[in-house]
Amino acid sequence: MYEEPYRWIEAVANRRNYLDDQFSQGNPLVAVSFAKGILLLTVNRGTEKIYEIYDRIALGGMGHPADLEKLRYTLLDMAHVEGFQRSPSDVTVARLMKNGLAPVIKQAFEEIYKAPYITKVLLAEVGATQDRDRLFSINYDGMYEEQKEFGLLAASPSIRESLVEEWKAQERPTTLQNALEVSLRLWGIASLLQASTSSLDAEEEEIASATTAAVSTLPDDEAISARIQETLAKETLECVLLDRESGKMETYRTLTQSELQPLIPQYLIPAS
Amino acid sequence: MGQQGDFLQVLQEQGYAMDTLFPSSKGSSALAHPELTTGTTVFAMKYADGVLVAGDRRATAGNVVMYDRTDKVLEIDRFSVMAIAGVPATAFEMARVLEHSFKYYRRSQLQDLSFEGKLRALSTLLKNNAPAALAGTGTVVPVYAGYDQLEGCGKIFFYDILGAEFEAVEYAVSGSGSSTIRGILYYMNRWGTGPVAGLNEEDALIFVLRLMTSAAEFDSATGGVDAQAQLYPIVKRVSAEGVRTIPSDRLKSLYSEKVLT
Repeated sequence: MYEEPYRWIEAVANRRNYLDDQFSQGNPLVAVSFAKGILLLTVNRGTEKIYEIYDRIALGGMGHPADLEKLRYTLLDMAHVEGFQRSPSDVTVARLMKNGLAPVIKQAFEEIYKAPYITKVLLAEVGATQDRDRLFSINYDGMYEEQKEFGLLAASPSIRESLVEEWKAQERPTTLQNALEVSLRLWGIASLLQASTSSLDAEEEEIASATTAAVSTLPDDEAISARIQETLAKETLECVLLDRESGKMETYRTLTQSELQPLIPQYLIPAS
Repeated sequence: MGQQGDFLQVLQEQGYAMDTLFPSSKGSSALAHPELTTGTTVFAMKYADGVLVAGDRRATAGNVVMYDRTDKVLEIDRFSVMAIAGVPATAFEMARVLEHSFKYYRRSQLQDLSFEGKLRALSTLLKNNAPAALAGTGTVVPVYAGYDQLEGCGKIFFYDILGAEFEAVEYAVSGSGSSTIRGILYYMNRWGTGPVAGLNEEDALIFVLRLMTSAAEFDSATGGVDAQAQLYPIVKRVSAEGVRTIPSDRLKSLYSEKVLT
């Protein structure tokens, strides 16, 4: 029944609705480039969402863990074979995204008889200097884009737009503590916007997710802090640093909870 | 599928043939001189904080000195090094395969490969390489030293060309200059002032430089120390903190103070 072009378009549109729905409950993921490296931040309910791909490359994901795992293996295989046969410096995030990830995700999305990947992926590569940092994110349909300094995975494009605006208005973080505070705040905003979008009814939601224009009103500081406190009280903060100054080939480092505690601003720590 | 974290398998699936990795030697055995291709001196010895691994820097082909700045002590990951004696092309390739295999395993399985697992990986590579090793075109006789985090101690292993693995209690040597060193170490442990494994870092380093100088005295294929050209052996220390290369400045001052005089 999908042989006719119109049916196919309809099927793909249905697929979008289904997928958008799947992501509405997901946790946003933030990546911020600063002097010391790139910080990736999200919260999880038990399953990690940030992984090491290669010496200078990390992956952040949103969506179904099993799908993310499959894509993670695709990237790991590609990166390590390339790094072995050519050289570690030939493994770049741009090529992993364009040649490795995008075709696989797009094909799965458009083959309407098969299941799509329920994932959005962010790839970060730390450079020798900050202007060589690269961030790419890809949507469930295989559309990817490069982002400067700040990368985000969130349920809908409109949230992305709002956050990019917010990032532009912010002062650039300089230290790790700084970067953590900024990332947490942006995460909080994304999480609140996502919650308000998913509480809209179906019709409104369609309008909201169809438009890529920024959401006009952002939550106030008090609501953001409350959201972060509430989340940190019941979920696990997951932070990875791609450390430009590691002095080694490998840059990926998971920040432990004891390392994170003193870095989180006092006003965001949940009262126990 | 790389679901088990096996990098070699992934490579093979991508069309990478084992024979190109470890060339068999059809028709080339007439050219093979296994006794010449292992011209080198590498050794690992235990000391108070872990293991010191050292290698001279000369690469030879027959009577010709090809290169005087070879690094034969290769860092495989944060906690292990491989010192190589044998055909450099095969040895370096093995080191690269191991390095990538361990990285791939750690990143895909989200845990480090166990120390025993790492030893097994090297053994497998040597076993696969046996035909080339027997023909003399791909002989590799490595010494593998690492810090076993589970047991909290440094360990040394040596191999024959077919991949058999032996654990060394105090030290292991390989290469054409190694018999000199083996003799001295045996003598020191038996009749010296105390076991070499009890030396502190400074004394152990002095001892390493003296051993290397002795090996170079009796083996033309071993580079030893060339203070004039600022050429010192590569020495790496493997301890609970991981692998660290001893800076050549340190070797230089120890050499001029404690070896020359």
